[in-house]
Amino acid sequence: MIKLQALNKTYPGVVPLHVLKDINLEIRKGELVSIMGASGSGKSTLLNILGILDNYDSGEYWLDGVLIKDLGENRSADLRNRMIGFVFQSFNLISYKNALENVALPLFYQGVSRRKRNALAMEQLERMGLADRAHHLPGELSGGQKQRVAIARALVTNPSIILADEPTGALDSHTSKEVTEVFRRLNDDGMTIVIVTHDPGVGAATNRIIRIVDGEIANGNA
Amino acid sequence: MLDLFREIGQTLRNNRLRTALTGFSVAWGIFMLIVLLGAARGVRNAFEERSSAETTNLISFWGGRTTIPYKGYKDGRFISLKNGDMEGLKHDNPGIVADAGAEVNMNHVISSNRESVNTGFTAVFPRAAALDRVEMLYGRFVNSRDIDNNRRVMVLHENNAKQLFGNAEDALGKTVRCMGLGWTVVGVYGGQRGRTNYMPYTTYKVLSGNDDEVSELQVHLEGLRTEADGEAAEEALRATLARRHEFSPEDKSALWTWNRFTSSIRVGKSQNYLTIAVWVIGILTLLSGIVGVSNIMFVSVRERTHEIGIRRAIGARPRSILTQVIAESIAVTSLFGYAGIVAGMALLQLLDMAIGNSDDFRHPTVDISIALQVMIALVIAGTLAGLFPALKAIKVKPVEALRDE
Repeated sequence: MIKLQALNKTYPGVVPLHVLKDINLEIRKGELVSIMGASGSGKSTLLNILGILDNYDSGEYWLDGVLIKDLGENRSADLRNRMIGFVFQSFNLISYKNALENVALPLFYQGVSRRKRNALAMEQLERMGLADRAHHLPGELSGGQKQRVAIARALVTNPSIILADEPTGALDSHTSKEVTEVFRRLNDDGMTIVIVTHDPGVGAATNRIIRIVDGEIANGNA
Repeated sequence: MLDLFREIGQTLRNNRLRTALTGFSVAWGIFMLIVLLGAARGVRNAFEERSSAETTNLISFWGGRTTIPYKGYKDGRFISLKNGDMEGLKHDNPGIVADAGAEVNMNHVISSNRESVNTGFTAVFPRAAALDRVEMLYGRFVNSRDIDNNRRVMVLHENNAKQLFGNAEDALGKTVRCMGLGWTVVGVYGGQRGRTNYMPYTTYKVLSGNDDEVSELQVHLEGLRTEADGEAAEEALRATLARRHEFSPEDKSALWTWNRFTSSIRVGKSQNYLTIAVWVIGILTLLSGIVGVSNIMFVSVRERTHEIGIRRAIGARPRSILTQVIAESIAVTSLFGYAGIVAGMALLQLLDMAIGNSDDFRHPTVDISIALQVMIALVIAGTLAGLFPALKAIKVKPVEALRDE
């Protein structure tokens, strides 16, 4: 599903910062993987590159058979929309849209009709057990509920992969377990999931842990 | 499209106060533009109503006093225009003079059975009704058959008619005595403009014997198009009169002139300048509103950087962000602009009802074509106001936008 070959990324500056050094990585379809590392290790940069939010300098990144390299803004927007579902630490829901509208938003950018996107969004909210919260604004939901709305939004386009950036970072331990459980369940349904985290509990719940130290993959697990 | 409107509606509702304040500046700009345009139209309407071909193709002359010695005459001589000048002007200036008329002003005593009044009279041709803008209250003005048959008829000002008969309407058809003869009152006119009484020119000439003097010569022009034509005609006519009365053609005070043709062209020109000035002022006022919108859109884009980042992350193309920001700006400008148009129109309606019938200000309205032009200007302005903030919005990278809390 994901294949990185000799991937390098440097942030230019007075002292250039070589954040990712010759990364080689393969994640197969249906895997539940966590990427762990200290802050500044380059794990967020890696996630941004995987999410086509950032570019890289050399090497290759293949996502579901597509080479992700030097894409235009429009093409990367379309690929993000169709192939990737994002889950963020701070949920990143739009505050003045209710849960249903937030979940339906990616489909809006695909040009899906309102009726159809609301039906699909409702389906995902039901899957997350939030059907009764569909018309609540994010501000009226608990942290765990917000994160489940965000997961529903990530799922609504039926993406190739879910990328989660510290999905439990803003949640208490009980809710964290709940959310982690949601990811496990999705993985059981066949979804490929990559979680960036520094919560060992979350890491332990995944099938494989990739450790990043100073821009390099540290253990032989990769 | 409908979805786009929904999105816009949601973001505008989300920032009610800001939307209202921005909108107000646009509405105000448009309101000013409409009111100014309407007022300029009112001034123009009044002018156009006053000036018809009959009243503008005309040069009037009055005798003055010479200031230059000429052909053996000393200066300081009074020039008095004569009845024969009418034919002389026609004869000497074919192709310019369509017709010539004259008026004589005088004072006489006029009496009914109960009263006598010493008052002013003007011996006129029927055209005087249009030239003096006589407003008839009862009966009619002097007509061509009065002229042809030297009828002894009079048109009285309502004040005189009241004095003589107690009631203006009662004067109609009655006989009055003047210059030792009986005259029939055929009409009564009103208004504050001049309080003279009118009688047929020819009748007066017959009664006054060999008195050849006229107070005013009125030359009706033909074939004139430009301001230069009008000035040339005036020069030609002045030259004829100078020759007939032996004064220097250079002597400006020997002959007083009112060239209604050139002055109406000049007024027309100044009306155009007025209209241009009004557009300029209006557009500048509107511009300050537009700058306000642009400013607010910048703020709005800045505030929503994070939101735009989210949208970009879940697959919004730069173009759809661009479209949304611009559409939002157009929505604000046109919505409030429309309100401004409506308010401006309403004020013009009120003005029209209050003072829309006066001589210098008439029916201050803007027609649908101007309203359309203004609407188009609004949409263009809205697009420009939104364009730069929108370009700024899409320049931000999604990663950076997401980091912005």
